[in-house]
Amino acid sequence: MVNQLAARNVCFGYPDGPRVLHGVSLELARGELVSLVGPNGSGKSTLLRCMAGLAELDAGEVLLDGSPLRVGTPRERALNVAVVPQFLPSLFDVRVEDFVLGGRYARIDRWVGPGASDREAIEKALVACDVIECRGRAMSELSGGQRQRVVVARAVAQEAAVLLVDEPTTSLDPDHQVTIFELLARLACEGRIVLVVTHELNLAAQFSAAMAVLHEGRLVARGSVDALMRSEVLTPVYGERLHFGRMDDGRPFVVPRARLLRRPQG
Amino acid sequence: MTMLSRTFPAAVGYGLLLALLAVGSVLLGSSGIGAGEVLEGSAAMLGLSEPLERSTQAIVELRVWRALCTLGVGAALALSGGLIQGMFRNALASPSLIGVTGGASLGAAFAILIIGGYAPRLVLESSAGLDALLVPLFSFAMALGTTALVAWIASARGRASVTTLLLVGIAVNMCVAGAFAAIQYLTLEEWEVSRAILAWTFGTLDDRSGFHCLTVFAGLAVSALAVPFVARELDLLKGGEEDAEALGVDVAGTKRIALIAAALAASAAVAVAGQIAFVGLVVPHLLRLCGLHSYRQLLWHALPAGAAFLLGADVLQRWLFGAGALQPGVMMSVVGGPFFLFLLVRSRREVSTW
Repeated sequence: MVNQLAARNVCFGYPDGPRVLHGVSLELARGELVSLVGPNGSGKSTLLRCMAGLAELDAGEVLLDGSPLRVGTPRERALNVAVVPQFLPSLFDVRVEDFVLGGRYARIDRWVGPGASDREAIEKALVACDVIECRGRAMSELSGGQRQRVVVARAVAQEAAVLLVDEPTTSLDPDHQVTIFELLARLACEGRIVLVVTHELNLAAQFSAAMAVLHEGRLVARGSVDALMRSEVLTPVYGERLHFGRMDDGRPFVVPRARLLRRPQG
Repeated sequence: MTMLSRTFPAAVGYGLLLALLAVGSVLLGSSGIGAGEVLEGSAAMLGLSEPLERSTQAIVELRVWRALCTLGVGAALALSGGLIQGMFRNALASPSLIGVTGGASLGAAFAILIIGGYAPRLVLESSAGLDALLVPLFSFAMALGTTALVAWIASARGRASVTTLLLVGIAVNMCVAGAFAAIQYLTLEEWEVSRAILAWTFGTLDDRSGFHCLTVFAGLAVSALAVPFVARELDLLKGGEEDAEALGVDVAGTKRIALIAAALAASAAVAVAGQIAFVGLVVPHLLRLCGLHSYRQLLWHALPAGAAFLLGADVLQRWLFGAGALQPGVMMSVVGGPFFLFLLVRSRREVSTW
């Protein structure tokens, strides 16, 4: 059983580019949904790639229960870490069920093919993500919300202890945004390590056990929702135009505040 | 059981189709040999009956080798095309378009030069006795080199874009054409060598022997061994290299195996029949039109479908035009060019998003 995924002092820059991450340390524990927030270009997705073992670090290390993640083969990593990417090419000719079967790749024996346990995992994942009725359809026929849930379903079918999710709610309506976060929170409750990169501060605040704020490649805050959803923490990162408030039940929220535009008089 | 019940009807269908085409191919010809003689001659090749009169037996044997070689070449080109399209994640890639068959032909031309005596004495002496193997070996080496070069240049940033791929293909084909022109100019005086090299650029299936047959099927068999190791991986690569890696795919390893297998299949075909374009592009396309999108199915179907496609085209043109028919390589270029244009027109929207 995997209990912890930890980034230790991670530094990373793309070839021919400026450094993106400057010594980031972040620990994720079993059973917790952690949201990683920060402005555009702060390095969130890059940190997620690093923590998935998909990037060669310039310095620092990513440890899965204390052992370096990048030592193993991609197959060994995929048994422990699943990634929900932000973008996928159109994949117009792939059936939903076959797409989700991709999540089982690391577990399927090349010479035997998918077995009963694989079919069961796919079925369970499709049910958990509420897309079981789409199983026979082509990816191109799905709505944005269904498609996003199918991509999450593939990661769920992977049955990895760690789930790293990159902006799962972009292009989804509010109802579907909540559905996705509910699903991720449930997956965390079942004993997974879940990290979500998101711009949806309020959803993150409602569903996360903890939040982490990345700014210009540095982790500037990590803590409980109450400790982080404050002007002192978020204004230096996102700027002045935020309004902080509390919902009926006392949970914090934050909305962008537009300057009122007055029509010139006379 | 389900696997068997699914593949069995397809296997029977392909078997019947290929048998029908092979019979048609063997029966077609100008020398007035009847079906009975063809049957007897073929049986004699298997040691089942007495050989026919010498020249008749020779003609029957030539026809049988031609049919078998055509099957092998078609299958090898289609497999190579399927692998290359998967590797470059692009349905417009093909062994001839990106220069692999061109490279292989150049290799064959070098081999013919050596056999023809155009090489330093040292090379000539050490290669004596290897003559038969020189053409396939040089083809393979050059095909592998060309594919690796194309892959290396086109995937500078991890993903081979169509534009880069086609431009690199054009550049490689230009280099090959230049080298060919130079070789042909130098060998103008020696018409036998010159003619042999020229034949390679046209793609010919005349005068094939058992050795040619063995060459193409050996190359085909070895490259087909790669299919189980890359088919699922190529399917997952459709989502991008990083996505595939996150799912557990050894991306570099997959591309390496697919590259070697594709080069081997293409060079086996070129070593036997010279340059035959468009089979590698068209056959995977036709299979996709039939609903076979997964490489797990497409790569296997490419073998019999490619064989049937090339032999069918060969039989059709010999039946239509008689003995003076074009070579299959020439005909494929004539028919394949417009087909490629059709594909481009059909995918105009995709083109604009390059």
